[in-house]
Amino acid sequence: MRSSSRANGEVDRSTGTALRLLKAKRLFKSQPFIILLVIIFLSIVIPFFNPVFLTFRNFQMVLQQSSVTGIASLCMVLLMISGGLDFSIGSIISLTCVIVAKLVEREMSAAAAVLIGLTVATACGAVNGLIIAKSKCPPIIITLGMLYVYYGIALNIAQGRFLNLFGKFEVLGSSAVLFIPFPIVVWIVMVLLMIVVLRYTKFGRRLFAMGSNEEAAFLAGITIDLNKIIAYTLNGLIAGIAAVVLISRLGSVIANVGADYALRALSAAVIGGVSFEGGRGTVIGAVLGVVLLGIVYNAMNILGITAYFQNIVLGIIVVSAVVFSNLGKVKR
Amino acid sequence: MGIGAVGSTKHKVVDIRHIVKRFPGILALSDVSFDLYPGELHCIVGENGAGKSTLIKILSGALVPDDGELIIGGQRYGYLTPYSAQSLGINAIYQENILAPDLTVAENMFLGREKCSRFGFFSYRESLRCAKEILASYDVTLEVDQLVAELQPAERQLLKIIKAIESKPKILIMDEPTTTFDIERIEKLLKIIENVKKTGMGIVYISHHLEEIVRIADRVTVLKDGRIVACHDSVEEEVTMDLLSNEMVGRPIDKFYFIGKRPIGKVILEISKLHVVGSSNTVDLDLREGEILGVAGMVGSGRSEIIRAIFGADRRVAGRVVIRGRQIPANKPGASIKSGLGLLTEDRKTSGLFLNRTVRENISIVGLKRFARPLLSSRQEKRLVGSFIQRLDIKTPSFDQEVGYLSGGNQQKVVLAKWLFRDVDILLFDEPTVGIDVNTKTEIYKLMSEFVSKRKAIIIVSSEMPELVSLCDRVVVIKKGGISAVLAGAQITEQNILFNSVGGRR
Repeated sequence: MRSSSRANGEVDRSTGTALRLLKAKRLFKSQPFIILLVIIFLSIVIPFFNPVFLTFRNFQMVLQQSSVTGIASLCMVLLMISGGLDFSIGSIISLTCVIVAKLVEREMSAAAAVLIGLTVATACGAVNGLIIAKSKCPPIIITLGMLYVYYGIALNIAQGRFLNLFGKFEVLGSSAVLFIPFPIVVWIVMVLLMIVVLRYTKFGRRLFAMGSNEEAAFLAGITIDLNKIIAYTLNGLIAGIAAVVLISRLGSVIANVGADYALRALSAAVIGGVSFEGGRGTVIGAVLGVVLLGIVYNAMNILGITAYFQNIVLGIIVVSAVVFSNLGKVKR
Repeated sequence: MGIGAVGSTKHKVVDIRHIVKRFPGILALSDVSFDLYPGELHCIVGENGAGKSTLIKILSGALVPDDGELIIGGQRYGYLTPYSAQSLGINAIYQENILAPDLTVAENMFLGREKCSRFGFFSYRESLRCAKEILASYDVTLEVDQLVAELQPAERQLLKIIKAIESKPKILIMDEPTTTFDIERIEKLLKIIENVKKTGMGIVYISHHLEEIVRIADRVTVLKDGRIVACHDSVEEEVTMDLLSNEMVGRPIDKFYFIGKRPIGKVILEISKLHVVGSSNTVDLDLREGEILGVAGMVGSGRSEIIRAIFGADRRVAGRVVIRGRQIPANKPGASIKSGLGLLTEDRKTSGLFLNRTVRENISIVGLKRFARPLLSSRQEKRLVGSFIQRLDIKTPSFDQEVGYLSGGNQQKVVLAKWLFRDVDILLFDEPTVGIDVNTKTEIYKLMSEFVSKRKAIIIVSSEMPELVSLCDRVVVIKKGGISAVLAGAQITEQNILFNSVGGRR
């Protein structure tokens, strides 16, 4: 016993500096930190080519344009951390937009239409969750199927036309809190909420545990099915909120309006270090991933690089981010 | 014995000399020599962890020995690789499944040496025909076009054995071939083996079932703690089950630990008619405050399944589990934990730990409500978890170190800390010290002793005899999913445990 307590004392004495070193090392090696460095680097380099980049207006525009992807990427963080995935959020966003537009077209009040839209989105998420939890099938396949189901419903409602929003959401879209435009405000609020949920609630802890080792989580008394269903349901709600933000920036919607967002959100999350293996990832990482994508798109626009070329760049960034994070693992 | 004796006049096919193999903290094989003649059946017996598996892994190229040499077919080798072992004609049938479940019996039979038609294309019809012929020659009835996934475990095992024999190895290694077999199939296998021996194939046979061994062995080598205790030739002497089981146990006193005796209180856990999936027997048990109850038995006897079923980790067919008068539902770990149960599984990495999460999160996961107000308080958590890290002397640079980076002993302490953090009343502890160094072992025993002194109780499942003998107030011995004996006090000896596990009599 004596020898062990002595060893303990030694540990205690060196703990302070060792701990700080360890923490610093972990921070420098973490993917979000490196993405942050890349963002800073780009922000310094790009203005040399076009000074417009560094204006406040441009900065605001980047964030505003990124907000829908930003909110949608929170869906991905929530699910991927718990070992899940949802490819159908693009379709859920589309469906929500189309339903809200259709209701507004039928002269329902904007608020009521939004409420119904959010309910439908939440229900879509719950259906995904129920199927995945109860069937134990891989979420990638189930949500791929549901992507078509929800998209099909949206097509049926929209009947292939543009649905006019009659400017009913312009007020929302152009409103601001403390000069911060509405979409960005929603994004920030959602980010803060998600951080609280993941870090400071039992539910959040359980999600990490499930994603890290489902068997161990089950044996630790976590009701896997229930928590999965809750996670997918929340995921639907968040997708719905993303849809509302999207609507606020548009004059009319079409059935494939949200189609791009699932993959973009996934890319952003992956760039920010959210792991496919589950149990690993941060909200801040996803935010930085979205911001990086936003800056790159913006830079390419103001530098006059064509849209055709932009996809190639996006792809390269995603692949490099994943390869990079895996390199670290291989070395260990 | 006949043919084997004739064979033994020829050159040895295997001659392993002075093999030494160390694993971290343990000497798995110490100066072990072993040989085999063509047409001979050489059995290896020993307790769990005696070194049998290590030895055959070295022979089949899966492990590299630290010292010693292998002479195979007259050639000298320092070590083998799985590939070189195979090309030397060594074929091992392990317990794990090596069949492709989504292919048919016939396809599996010829996997890697597919039957082809005249034009060099794979011919399924030809495969079916040949497979049927082969199975008939062994007097085995299996549908050749059935998927392997649809077979019973015993049928799969039989297929594995036939497939291995059909590849015509010079040396066939069988590791516990009969665990899934009923008496009829065991008889069939023993007959097959008799015939195979006549072809000159040398067989290394490992089994817990001494009945089989004494019937078919030409020679028996007894291993204990990585050393050879004896090698019997069944021509020269009569090899009995009692003789073997006596040789498998018996250790010097310094292998044992002494923990203080505690007062035993009232019953806190009652198990009645527990029926585990895949077993034909039921189990009744009770556990008292202050008691450490051992569950012994050979690997595959159903020991772990019993405590997993108590906890609700696996489904159970029938049975009641009652804690302090309250029945707990089946297959609901959450409810079991609420009632005061904690399970530490045998394989902490795959089912006990969140390897890519921090020490802090791993310890607090079952006791989140202790610092939920209702949002989780990081400060409280650090304070609480910190006290456990200190109490259990877990060596980690910080709370936020990922558990995957800790040593085996410290990982086990983290799993233990998790349940102490939750303050459960009953620990179900499967192989508490497997893969753990001697010092940490003693520390864990001390923690267990402290735990039960607070009117709590522990059930341990263990393959380590000294552990059971030193720690337990009672030991139940499991054989084929049922209780074969309950030992208490002075009855708890290595001999008694082993006799009742393997079916030998005193």
